[in-house]
Amino acid sequence: MVQAGSKKSPISKINSKAGISSLIIFVVLLLAWIAGFASRLFAVIRFESIIHEFDPWFNYRATAYMVKHGFYNFLNWFDERAWYPLGRIVGGTVYPGLMLTSGSIHYILHLLHINVHIRDICVFLAPVFSGLTAISTYFLTKELWSAGAGLFAACFIAIVPGYISRSVAGSYDNEGIAIFALQFTYFLWIKSVKTGSVFWAVAASLSYFYMVSAWGGYVFIINLIPLHVFVLLLMGRYSNRLFTSYTTFYILGLIFSMQIPLVGFQPIRTSEHMAAAGVFALMFAVGILRYLQNMMTKSEFKSLVIFGGLASAGVVFLAVVILTYAGYVAPWSGRFYSLWDTGYAKIHIPIIASVSEHQPTTWFSFFFDLHVLVATFPAGLWYVIKNINDERVFVVLYALSAVYFAGVMVRLMLTLTPVVCILSGIAFSGLLELFLREDDVYHNEDSEEEEHSTPSKRLYDKLPKEAKSKLKSGKSVGNVKTPTPQVVGRVQKMKHEQSKESDGIGPNIRSVVTVVILLLLMLFAVHCTWVTSNAYSSPSIVLASYGSDGSRQILDDFREAYFWLSQNTDDDARVMSCFSNSCCIRVGLRLSNSRNGRNRTTLVDNNTWNNSHIALVGKAMSSNETAAYEIMTALDVDYVLVIFGGVIGYSGDDINKFLWMVRIAEGEHPKDIRESDYFTEHGEFRVDSEGSPTLLNCLMYKLSYYRFGELKLDYRTPAGFDRTRNAVIGNKDFQLTYLEEAYTTEHWLVRVYRVKKPDEFNRPRIPVANRVVKSPSFVSKKSTKRKKGFHKE
Amino acid sequence: MKAIKCGLIILFFTLLQNVHGQQRRQGYTMAERVQQLTDMTNKRAVLRFNANKFRDFVKSSPRNYSVVIMFTAMAPQRQCQVCRHASDEFTIVANSFRYSQSYSNKLFFAVVDFDEGSDVFQMLRLNTAPVFIHFPPKGKPKNADTMDIQRIGFAAETIAKWIVERTDIQIRVFRPPNYSGTFALVILFGIVAAFLYLRRNNLEFLYNKTMWGMGSLFFCFAMTSGQMWNHIRGPPFIHKNQNGQIAYIHGSSQGQFVFETYIVMVLNAAIVLGMILLTEAARGKGDPKKRKIFAVVGLLLLSIFFSLLLSVFRTKTQGYPYSFLFK
Repeated sequence: MVQAGSKKSPISKINSKAGISSLIIFVVLLLAWIAGFASRLFAVIRFESIIHEFDPWFNYRATAYMVKHGFYNFLNWFDERAWYPLGRIVGGTVYPGLMLTSGSIHYILHLLHINVHIRDICVFLAPVFSGLTAISTYFLTKELWSAGAGLFAACFIAIVPGYISRSVAGSYDNEGIAIFALQFTYFLWIKSVKTGSVFWAVAASLSYFYMVSAWGGYVFIINLIPLHVFVLLLMGRYSNRLFTSYTTFYILGLIFSMQIPLVGFQPIRTSEHMAAAGVFALMFAVGILRYLQNMMTKSEFKSLVIFGGLASAGVVFLAVVILTYAGYVAPWSGRFYSLWDTGYAKIHIPIIASVSEHQPTTWFSFFFDLHVLVATFPAGLWYVIKNINDERVFVVLYALSAVYFAGVMVRLMLTLTPVVCILSGIAFSGLLELFLREDDVYHNEDSEEEEHSTPSKRLYDKLPKEAKSKLKSGKSVGNVKTPTPQVVGRVQKMKHEQSKESDGIGPNIRSVVTVVILLLLMLFAVHCTWVTSNAYSSPSIVLASYGSDGSRQILDDFREAYFWLSQNTDDDARVMSCFSNSCCIRVGLRLSNSRNGRNRTTLVDNNTWNNSHIALVGKAMSSNETAAYEIMTALDVDYVLVIFGGVIGYSGDDINKFLWMVRIAEGEHPKDIRESDYFTEHGEFRVDSEGSPTLLNCLMYKLSYYRFGELKLDYRTPAGFDRTRNAVIGNKDFQLTYLEEAYTTEHWLVRVYRVKKPDEFNRPRIPVANRVVKSPSFVSKKSTKRKKGFHKE
Repeated sequence: MKAIKCGLIILFFTLLQNVHGQQRRQGYTMAERVQQLTDMTNKRAVLRFNANKFRDFVKSSPRNYSVVIMFTAMAPQRQCQVCRHASDEFTIVANSFRYSQSYSNKLFFAVVDFDEGSDVFQMLRLNTAPVFIHFPPKGKPKNADTMDIQRIGFAAETIAKWIVERTDIQIRVFRPPNYSGTFALVILFGIVAAFLYLRRNNLEFLYNKTMWGMGSLFFCFAMTSGQMWNHIRGPPFIHKNQNGQIAYIHGSSQGQFVFETYIVMVLNAAIVLGMILLTEAARGKGDPKKRKIFAVVGLLLLSIFFSLLLSVFRTKTQGYPYSFLFK
């Protein structure tokens, strides 16, 4: 693990070598950018250039609004179609960084008379930013370790599935640009810690400002950086550089972050931000002590530290507790709390627990998203710890905290991915630097091999070459402050020794090792492509099924249904669809609109904050038809849309997710909905004739299985056989009173029902006792004379 | 709930107590009964009922209060472990109610022990314990008035929820804080502090990078092998199917067994070890033979264990096309 090459070569050589090495760096980064961009385009090429899911669609709509009406109008925009019937004050409830970014790109391109539709910018924003992420990862890794490791890390992050999952073309979401902001902030922070200059600290806080404007995950930064500082203090690595950079960063970052409407006063009022403030105070305390140390005797100083330290710690602690109780400082919010107490969400907040992104992570997902990196990044971590210095403490803390969070929530795999790429880059570059160093024979072998490989592979094979040339050039890529004399000594010795007995291991082993490593990296590249193509590139409105011969069939039911809706319903029709835990239907109907330019109001979209509202829809879905009709009229619903997978065996349909709706409804309406009613006596959830009567008569069941009892799928199974749940449904012959079937798609995947108006259905018989004749108490005040009425002129 | 193993089979010859012989105390009016119950509740949150009291306060009408009764068998010779847990939870609910804002004389908590009121068990045809039954002010307990502990368990929160369903009385469960965790933590800190103090002259080991490195690597392995998932979901250790075959690896990508995660952890660790050995071999000094062996061992570790990991992964993914060395 070479960190500082010695500058021995003559100046003239440096110029040419440095030129070559920077050319190589440039080319590799460019290729990484192109490869990253290209591998994110599967969905666009296979289908069309559309925005994928619900959240991205909302972001797109907001962006379009901003482009059309300007930024200030956007901040004041009240969107009455979202979160119907409440409406949404968009300016105060979004992180505007995303919209501003694409809006300004749009603006600049139009200044240059490149007329690009804002939708295309939105679709391609995340892939473009993935290239920027790769570059900032390169710079960060270069600061931390070496340029070679940086190139590895950049190439890894360009194609790693853990990051692609959130940044494919068409997923226009905050994470896409936030990871770039995250990496860039970290880079600037490391830079400022290393130099201690106010310039870099200000740059870091500006980048932090961008991050705050882009994603709620900024909390991760504002806790990780203070943690870094704190650990450095504990390790006795306090320095004036650290003091300058942290105090500058914190104050400016605090003020900047409060400029975002959604964040507002949170940075000084919530517990999530208190650690940063505490470290800020601590920094000053340590600074003062350092200063006093010069002026006092040793014993005086010792007692001052002990008493002063204890007293101030007590005061600070009491102050925080009192402020929390008095309500000035909000306690941890549920989402954050569930990160620490892992059982918390399951008990207290079903809506958070229900979202599939908030589940804990299996080893399978780790491997799926990171492949060889997950197995090798600990090696990088090992070497980082072995050669620790100020800024490497940061990457260690980053790795440890991120790996913990990723273990708790699948979704936070996204924050783990960059650091895994950095550390794996360090491990691989360290290995290859040593194994490729020998002489030019192996180098040429490698480059010959490269030329037969695919472009994405070629990208990787460039790296060893680069690493090598970097070594040759002897460019100093190490740190300004080299950690300890021992390390330097070791490195030098190694170089020296290496040149003397260069065949210590023997050329055969060296080449075998190199080939195996390259094979691993190749496997990684094909794995990434496979995962991207198969798992992360379906626009979630198109289902693909694979036949036995591997052919791909596309089930286009969703788009069929959306198209029908956009053609056949009024412009302001309100469609109730169930919210979805994963990503399927919260897409809502908005999807079709990105093409057709028409809007449907979806009743419940991804508004996980407004629990009662979702609970009401859940209640409607889980009550019987009559009760549901009341709710639906109250909510003014025109259409109901359900996803039904019983015909094709699609397991993500509404019946399978139904229990979450019941649970959420039960949370708000415990009297009307009881989860136990939906189970059989043995506690099973069954849809066949043994299922509980409540389930067999609830709206969701009826809408899913309406007319399904007549359908015979094939000769082996009886009529009404549900392929998803492998059961013959229990309630076959029923009619709908209050709704009528409006449309069912080809594979029955989407079923749309129209809610009848009160005069359209035969009202069910009202028991005699309940019949009320309209009150006879009303007596017309009109006298017979005036009854005729007249027209006043 | 796998609970209630200690289903008490009640023998249907109960001693005909002197119940019938005893004079029926008809005397209490409703107000008196409520007064008595309130007095008793003031002494202890969960009332102990025997057969007589049960008749007086629960079976008699009219009532304007609900009674939630836990039927249990706490006597040591019954060997009912579950009853003890259930009783703890029940007491928590009762205490929470007793000291809460919403405390009223509309709801009382009581317990009937089998050894004190076996004829009550007989009367209600209960032959298991524990059972939670809610006796509403009017009418007899319906089906839903018996809490389904098989399905929902008997945690204090679920009991409270069930009570809300049955009686509309909201009880916010307040668990007496569990000090054992805090206590253990304090002791741990104390030990660490004492250790540091004793070795205050020789704190070198704190700067031992190998130790810190090992610790962090172990943490990473634990997390990436899904131990957190195990902690939250509590999967079985291994799976035994009907034929007696043992599956170590969960078939689908959604789940995992505890043993499986250990395998993965070992595989990951072996790969990392291989990487480190390779690097050390290439950079190390010392005699070339040793380094050669190191390099070969490292290479083997890296390639073999990675391909094993890949093949485990392959078995869990449908249609995954790639493999390395082994299928």
